[in-house]
Amino acid sequence: MELILEKGRLDDWIAALEGWQAFAPSQEDEVWGYRPTASPVRLDHPNTVQPPKNFAFPQREVFFRFEQVKGEPPRLTPVEPDAARNVVFGVRPCDGRGVVRMDTVFSDHVEDSFYLGRRKNLAYVGLACLKPASRHCFCKSVGGSPVSTEGLDVLMTDLGDCWLLASATPVGETLMQAAGALLTEPSAEQRMELARRHEEALARPQKSAVADVGNAATRLKDNFDSPLWEELGKACIACGICTYLCPTCHCFDLNDEVSGGKPLRGGRVRTWDSCQFPDFTMHSSGHNPRDSLGSRLRQRVSHKFRYFVENFGTPQCTGCGRCVSQCPVGIDIVNVVNRVCASV
Amino acid sequence: MIRIEDIRTQARDILETGEVRAVIGWRRGSRGMAAEPVLISQPEEAESLVWDPTCFHNLSLNLVQERKRLARKGMASNKPLALVAKGCDARSVTVLLQENHFRREDVYVLGVSCEGSGVLDERKLARVLDGLTPDSAAYDGDDYVFQTEEGEKRLPAREVMADRCLECRSAYPRLNNAVFGEEKTRGLEAPFAALSRFEQNRGAERWDFWKRQFERCIRCFACRSVCPLCYCEECVVDSIRLEVTPETTADEKANRIRWIERSASRSDNFGYHMTRALHLAGRCIDCAECERVCPVHIPLRLLNNKLEREAREKFGYEPGASVDLPALVSSFRDDDPNEFIR
Amino acid sequence: MGDNIYLPQLARVSYIKEEVAGERAIKTFRLEFAEGEGFEHECGQCAMLSIFGKGEAMISIASAPHVKTYKQFSIMRVGRVTSAFHELSVGDVVGIRGPYGNSFPVHDWRGKNLIFIGGGCGLAPIWPVIQTAVAQREHFRDITVFYGGRSPRDIMYQAELEKLRGAADVHLSVDKAEEGWNAYCGFVPANLMDKEPSPENAIAITCGPPIMIKFVIQNLRSLGFRDEQIYTTIENKMKCGLGKCGRCNVGKDYVCVKGPVYSWDVLKDLPAEY
Repeated sequence: MELILEKGRLDDWIAALEGWQAFAPSQEDEVWGYRPTASPVRLDHPNTVQPPKNFAFPQREVFFRFEQVKGEPPRLTPVEPDAARNVVFGVRPCDGRGVVRMDTVFSDHVEDSFYLGRRKNLAYVGLACLKPASRHCFCKSVGGSPVSTEGLDVLMTDLGDCWLLASATPVGETLMQAAGALLTEPSAEQRMELARRHEEALARPQKSAVADVGNAATRLKDNFDSPLWEELGKACIACGICTYLCPTCHCFDLNDEVSGGKPLRGGRVRTWDSCQFPDFTMHSSGHNPRDSLGSRLRQRVSHKFRYFVENFGTPQCTGCGRCVSQCPVGIDIVNVVNRVCASV
Repeated sequence: MIRIEDIRTQARDILETGEVRAVIGWRRGSRGMAAEPVLISQPEEAESLVWDPTCFHNLSLNLVQERKRLARKGMASNKPLALVAKGCDARSVTVLLQENHFRREDVYVLGVSCEGSGVLDERKLARVLDGLTPDSAAYDGDDYVFQTEEGEKRLPAREVMADRCLECRSAYPRLNNAVFGEEKTRGLEAPFAALSRFEQNRGAERWDFWKRQFERCIRCFACRSVCPLCYCEECVVDSIRLEVTPETTADEKANRIRWIERSASRSDNFGYHMTRALHLAGRCIDCAECERVCPVHIPLRLLNNKLEREAREKFGYEPGASVDLPALVSSFRDDDPNEFIR
Repeated sequence: MGDNIYLPQLARVSYIKEEVAGERAIKTFRLEFAEGEGFEHECGQCAMLSIFGKGEAMISIASAPHVKTYKQFSIMRVGRVTSAFHELSVGDVVGIRGPYGNSFPVHDWRGKNLIFIGGGCGLAPIWPVIQTAVAQREHFRDITVFYGGRSPRDIMYQAELEKLRGAADVHLSVDKAEEGWNAYCGFVPANLMDKEPSPENAIAITCGPPIMIKFVIQNLRSLGFRDEQIYTTIENKMKCGLGKCGRCNVGKDYVCVKGPVYSWDVLKDLPAEY
């Protein structure tokens, strides 16, 4: 389904989405993030600081609550994932591809009812990147494209005075049907303009590129013991920025948070975690299998470009560039992959 | 003006003579204009050192990290480590010395006076350049000069300089083994100018402001990780930093304090940032790295500045001013004010 | 979708035995499901045990699959959760979810000689295999058990090991000589070399401290064992047990799903990040 939405009518479409809570990028203290929509929604954002991964995988989530009177058995109360139907506007194609990779992780082996419970009520309306959203974009070199619909339900393309909406899933069609007469059939010229703009976007060079993603897994395996890892990881300050801002990083921690002592009350809580934190892999004995900055950088990069490929046949990294642009010390995953893969 | 050749020569010399084990400085980064920290141990690598307005990083952090790394490997060297230090960075080395983190002879400070330049604020720059992304930045004595995809752009340094540099009164590194550049007073803005501007807001507005900031915090801990004075092996706020050795007993592990949960909830985030700010009172030397690295733009400098100003007004204390001064929170004078103790 | 995969079942502590005292104390616990059917498990699998308010820890199930009335766990006191376990009394109720991970292919080993090599609390993960082999004694040829501790007081399952004699050859050892100890003195890998078991039609199963495993594998290979005849279990920090949280990730594997049981010919190709 391909239909035209006039620029001034986006808010009307959002209003017509009955039963859906709509989110779109907006600024708070100059931080671009997905927030409940407020008229007018413009969709003129650069890349948001955080990807939309919070919607299906919130940074904090309670799995169940417990209560225990001393000497008595504990009582557990399961928590159900929030059932609200959320539609997220302005999602960049790299983040759409991130969604697919998160779906893979949380469906593989055993289905995570919390992730999937939220995910089934989520729709993503994407926005084609007619020019790179940041100088650190490298989606094209990792199998993506600035006009990819992977993971998106609808892809919007800016045609100047209007958007062309293309549905990519049945959910996307439902969202577009809800717009009713707001959407009109594109003219032949508009279709040609769409093709022209997409072609141009695909042809536009990106400043950064992984040199040979097809061979990266093999090369990273060959160079697992390379001294380059410690060299390239030396400046790392072991913070969580690269992983917390990544659209595909999914590591988490589970803790009991106690809110009261008599009776014992609390909840078991999932929070994001990061393989870059020093104690992420530390055993209770103090033994730490990845105890150096280099070994942790190698883990992050190898997971994205080797282990995920070995398990699921595609790189996990989608080239959004956030870990590069936000790294406090300028560690550039593209540079790391290229340097390590090129080393002998 | 500072000639980078002079810094390189000095770095090469002290590596060649073996006076130092390694030199920590900045080199060209791989992601656009920003320099990146580097540790060099071979004299010929000195050629890669750079000095420009993107040398944001406080390299005393790398000094602390490298010393910890060597200690873990049992390689604690009797040779000093050298670092290139701006005025503020040198002050944090001073605090580390006051706190006996290492001895004066363990560190060789290649001081660099920021003279008029300071470092730039990438967010201010992004606002001005509106989408343009520079490949390099330089300071020519008056302006910052950027090379961009649309050619050269010049901006008065003052327009895009970091707040801390605008307010800086001591851009000259007092603590040094060698120093580059002249002593110049910059003072483009009054000390604590950003804080004073913020304090013009009413109490309720300020509270709303901080609620919003702490709501946004994602607890990536970059502010703590980047701080040279947050060097504790074990931090009360979470489980990320815990030094466990084969000698750590089960009781020690089982009974670890967990005052603040890992959840990035507003109240826990509030607890985290307050704890951190208080632990930096009288120590923070306003390198403002915590504020620069925050991915969600929490103006952490305001918190640290507030306590810095308290220390100055109440006790006439300036963190990092002298190695010989006792640390603020572990010293007492008869004439210390006490009206706030109730 | 549906199920809350992180919600534990409740289980009652029905038996506690102090195996080893001191700083590295080990206690054995038997847990009986407090309600419902519980779950079945296979040799080598683990379960996530929890004490509410303290958290969870992944522990090997030390009882054999044919034991239906309880699950046994031998837990060394090392951290927050395990210390809380050591405070428990019979009748207390804890959380349990599982079973997690793969298992030893015991059925495929029928007709073979089995050689077990354990050290410290590393006897627990291979104990269900020993118990299964002994229960199905007619299906296996020689069963040999090497096991050692730092001192005689560090030997766990002492009575049970004595009961094995007859069904299996048991070779105990302690690291340092001590009065009253009549068996082997020295490290477990050395005891192995001393007895020189034959690789002929044999499977070797080892578990213990990483440094012991390393030398046991070295020694087994020098005795002529091929990589695919050597099995071990690895452990890494785990949080979810379901291949999601990323803690136990080694190479492409999440140990909680693809492990903890590995043959050496598979394990040797993974990064040694465990």
